[in-house]
Amino acid sequence: MKPPLLAQALLMAVAGPCEAEYVAGDLEEEFAIVREARGRAAARRWYAWQVARSAGALLQLRVRSGELTHVVLIASLGVAVPLLLLDWLWQFVYSQIPLKDGLHRAPEFLVFNALCVCACAAVLGAWAAWKWPASKWPGSKSRALALAFAAAIAVLVALWAGAASAPAAYVVTLALAVPASALLTFALRKSR
Amino acid sequence: MSKGETLGEFEHLTLLAVFRLGEDAYGMRVRREIAERTKRDVTIGAVYSTLDRLAAKGLLKSALSDPTPERGGRAKRSFRVTGLGIASLNRARQQLGSMLEGIAFPLSGGAR
Repeated sequence: MKPPLLAQALLMAVAGPCEAEYVAGDLEEEFAIVREARGRAAARRWYAWQVARSAGALLQLRVRSGELTHVVLIASLGVAVPLLLLDWLWQFVYSQIPLKDGLHRAPEFLVFNALCVCACAAVLGAWAAWKWPASKWPGSKSRALALAFAAAIAVLVALWAGAASAPAAYVVTLALAVPASALLTFALRKSR
Repeated sequence: MSKGETLGEFEHLTLLAVFRLGEDAYGMRVRREIAERTKRDVTIGAVYSTLDRLAAKGLLKSALSDPTPERGGRAKRSFRVTGLGIASLNRARQQLGSMLEGIAFPLSGGAR
């Protein structure tokens, strides 16, 4: 019987690559003890509760080590900057055409933007798999999850900072598709 | 004495737990030791955050052990108290003893 997958994923995402390794080991060891004493369901609840309550402290530990700043910076440069540049490019192009101002938010341009940003996220994921191979980085999965999460946040910040308000469907699509693209290429490159 | 040399309450408890556990001091054992003795609900994140801070102050030393199957094939980070840590515990004990001197327990009264 394994601990809840979602809680494990959250732990991998918030804890630093090294911390994720031994904190997950500690929790798994205690999970077995709690399961023996209180049963399966209680052990799963205990595990999820421990991870949820530890997330803040582990994130703080990661920030203190400077590693998270690095990940956030890469995510911002990788997806937020291209998205902002695309947005400004369309805005500039359409502002030059009389009566077309504001059309840069038309659905076809939003789809183009989304595809470009997802491609950037995919490159980011592939780069992460190359840069952090499991043989050299035991917590490479944790870094990739953090990178995907940071990319989603960076995209949301870029949309907020963008020139005009974006449709909700566009925001939700980007917030889900960007981390998914990064994780997909990371997993694909790692499996090869 | 600078602020960094003094121990916070949870740091004090954590350092004592590591000292009590000796060779077997790692995150899970430290967490259980504090939880059982103080009846406090302590999270593993708070324990590791404190252990890391104590190690940064030079009061603890850590080492990674080999992965074991009961931990899902994951390594363990063990801690031990350094000479500086022992001195810090002695100083904290002396300060507390000095503050408690002449006070009869249990206390009563207090501001309302």
